[in-house]
Amino acid sequence: MLPLSIKDDEYKPAKFNLFVKISGWFRSILADKTSRNLFFFLCLNLSFAFVELLYGIWSNSLGLISDSFHMFFDCTALLAGLAASVISRWRSNDSFSYGYVRAEVLAGFVNGLFLIFTAFFIFSEGVERALEPPDVHHERLLPVSIAGLLVNLVGIFVFQHGGHGHSHGGEGHGHSHSLFNGSVGHGHSHGGHGHSHESKHGHDDHGHSHGGHGHSHGGHGHSHDDPCDDDHLHTPGKGSSKQILQGVFLHIVADTLGSVGVIISAILMQKYDLMIADPICSMLIALLIGVSVVPLLRESIGILMQRTPPSLDHTLPECYQRVQQLQGVYNLQEPHFWTLCTDVYIGTLKLLVAPDADSRWILSQTHNIFTQVGVRQLYVQIDVAAM
Amino acid sequence: MACAPNRVRLLCMLSLTFGFFIVEVVVSRITSSLAMLSDSFHMLSDVIALVVALVAVRFAEQTQSTNKNTFGWIRAEVMGALVNAVFLTALCFTIILEAIERFTEPHEIEKPEVVIGVGAAGLLVNLFGLCLFHGHAGGGGHGHSHGGHGHSHGGHKKHKNGKVRRCETLEDSRSAGEETNNLVGNQNNSPNGVNPDRRRASISEMCHSESLDLQINGSAPYEELENGQDTASQLNMRGVFLHVLGDALGSVIVVINAIIFILVWKPCEPGNVCENPCVSQHCADHSLNISSAAANSTSVKGPCWVLYLDPTLCIIMVCILLYTTYPLLKESALILLQTVPKQIDMHQLNSRLRELEGVLAVHELHIWQLAGSRIIATAHIKCHDPASYMDVAKRIKDFFHDEGIHATTIQPEFVTVNSESRASLCELSCRTQCARKLCCGAVDSAKPPDGAADAKKSCEAKTPTVTSTSATSLEIISESVEETSRPESIVIMTREVESSL
Repeated sequence: MLPLSIKDDEYKPAKFNLFVKISGWFRSILADKTSRNLFFFLCLNLSFAFVELLYGIWSNSLGLISDSFHMFFDCTALLAGLAASVISRWRSNDSFSYGYVRAEVLAGFVNGLFLIFTAFFIFSEGVERALEPPDVHHERLLPVSIAGLLVNLVGIFVFQHGGHGHSHGGEGHGHSHSLFNGSVGHGHSHGGHGHSHESKHGHDDHGHSHGGHGHSHGGHGHSHDDPCDDDHLHTPGKGSSKQILQGVFLHIVADTLGSVGVIISAILMQKYDLMIADPICSMLIALLIGVSVVPLLRESIGILMQRTPPSLDHTLPECYQRVQQLQGVYNLQEPHFWTLCTDVYIGTLKLLVAPDADSRWILSQTHNIFTQVGVRQLYVQIDVAAM
Repeated sequence: MACAPNRVRLLCMLSLTFGFFIVEVVVSRITSSLAMLSDSFHMLSDVIALVVALVAVRFAEQTQSTNKNTFGWIRAEVMGALVNAVFLTALCFTIILEAIERFTEPHEIEKPEVVIGVGAAGLLVNLFGLCLFHGHAGGGGHGHSHGGHGHSHGGHKKHKNGKVRRCETLEDSRSAGEETNNLVGNQNNSPNGVNPDRRRASISEMCHSESLDLQINGSAPYEELENGQDTASQLNMRGVFLHVLGDALGSVIVVINAIIFILVWKPCEPGNVCENPCVSQHCADHSLNISSAAANSTSVKGPCWVLYLDPTLCIIMVCILLYTTYPLLKESALILLQTVPKQIDMHQLNSRLRELEGVLAVHELHIWQLAGSRIIATAHIKCHDPASYMDVAKRIKDFFHDEGIHATTIQPEFVTVNSESRASLCELSCRTQCARKLCCGAVDSAKPPDGAADAKKSCEAKTPTVTSTSATSLEIISESVEETSRPESIVIMTREVESSL
């Protein structure tokens, strides 16, 4: 029998699929503002790193070469954030019934870990240098660090104002994103040769007081009490990329202050010949990084450990009481509430009810009660007490 | 449980490693060798990894639920494994960077004999650690009832402590109700609830009896509790094992390098002017070149390839480490991403669940792994009426028990009108984030084989109706829209809106 139609497009070679996949990734990156910003700054950083590398090779300066390698290493933080922002938008499937939304929490956590590792490394380098001060050629690095600082500041300012407010449905917390989206300006430099990653980390407060971009601290549980009409109705990416942006932001502030630190120590060394300034700066920077990463780590650890959402800590006991006062409910058992990703709370609980109670009414009332505090996905198990 | 021996091992290794770190720092100061100092910081990172694992083990012992952590702290082990894996990866990158630097500017080793001595001692410490952790990490997922890890039967003191602790954790978890969920009220013994109660009774018997033999083929939850904590702590121990392995490889490389250096390298003889052909002529050698032109006898430093051996070996070691760390990283990350555990086939489970008698539809089935083999499932089940619900619930629970999932929360939904085609609409607000995002975007796991194409169309058709009836606080946004006809859906919406008011 002759075929009526020939479907050629079912049999495309594998190479075509790869291209399609990659272009699909690009499209999804460019679709969302957050990931677009991240992507452009990743490109900016990479180009900066390449320029530095080439310049270092050309002028045969080991310090510049190692510094550029460190920039590449740091770009991994941006890359992780970008990957997470893309991945968390994928749809759920058989293996990932909740979708991939947890990726952003994980990315924030991993970024925090990398930062702690960096801080530890800088600290050890500082100790080494304090014990055995090497020759530091600062004349090459000063212009580089100034350039890096400028890139950072430019990035912060440009994205500060160009940042798209994203109009949330319930304006309780929309502001937290504008700064984060803004400050993806990376670019940093390192002092000395060797790996002194003198990237300073600002505390969150520091970043916030930068010119009054009012916003709340990246996620210290802002209590959401808008029930439904959602901020999540439109691009859920925004609310949920808080963790990513926080991690990336901390990385960038670290680099900004690192450049400042390098400049200061270079000046100190050139003017006053204080060789000890370099290692002391490194150690201070490492401590600052460590301290400022702690909030991010604490929050993402809480989410990953399935902890009760901090913003619900006070409201949940009231809800329990209200549920137990429903007619027919004897007892509320085994409540488990946890955060899936930023602002998405999931809860399960078991209700012991009388045999003659109206289960459906109890169910809908319970859902109602918990929806008002922001728990969107609730699973209520009804156990009928056999009397 | 196994926590006691784990903790002992970790503490032992921790003290050894820390002591060695101190030794290395002292030696590096005495010999003023920078390489030794940087190696000592590697040891310090090892100490940190052990501390992380220890903290994770310590936290994970508290398996009962607290106010803030209703699931207990058992996930701490998975987190510990992830932290260690990430730490290792970062360390690998650092080593790569150092190796590349060495390529561009090779250093020769000063005082290679000292380096050999310290390297060998470090290697011994690491090998000891490998032996300590190898049995545990490689042991597979079986419970400790097989005496494979030194938890032999009979009564060692430690053993008894382990048992007691396990019993405590069992009791605690029983009181938290995580393991077995009784269908028919916790206080009453109804005929339906005999089986779980019998299991619990047997557990309590075992716990209270004196001669607890580990090789009890107890009831399934008991063993699986064992396995659960076992595989979770196994992940953690694997992280530690990999870290120690990395360190051991590092020590091996240091020793090999130093030995080859001693054998092959021809240093400059003192008294002659040294010419160093291996280092690029950047700044430091200008003076030497000038003066060597005038000198009579110059000696050339030994074969240059020796200097490149160190970075090459380092890169090989990094490759090995990354290759072995990647599975650990992936596994712990997947658990934290709330994946469905790999031994469970969602699709098949879903279809089998729907085939159970009395189950009309299944919505929002989520299965995820807390840690180890503690798997948690939640679902909405649609059934006919509250009267028949109890039997259905029992059947569902048994079904999940057979699959190995013991902590389940099943929300019943009752059909208002007897209409089969509407059975799959979620009655209550399956309040997902966004109708646009998840409704048609999600590949629905509860989708019946037919009507898949219609689901998309009807979902898009449905969103206008949703917005029009959004006056109530309960929005009926269903994740799994399966009805076929549009007008029917509108009818359903209004009816259910009324019922919830």
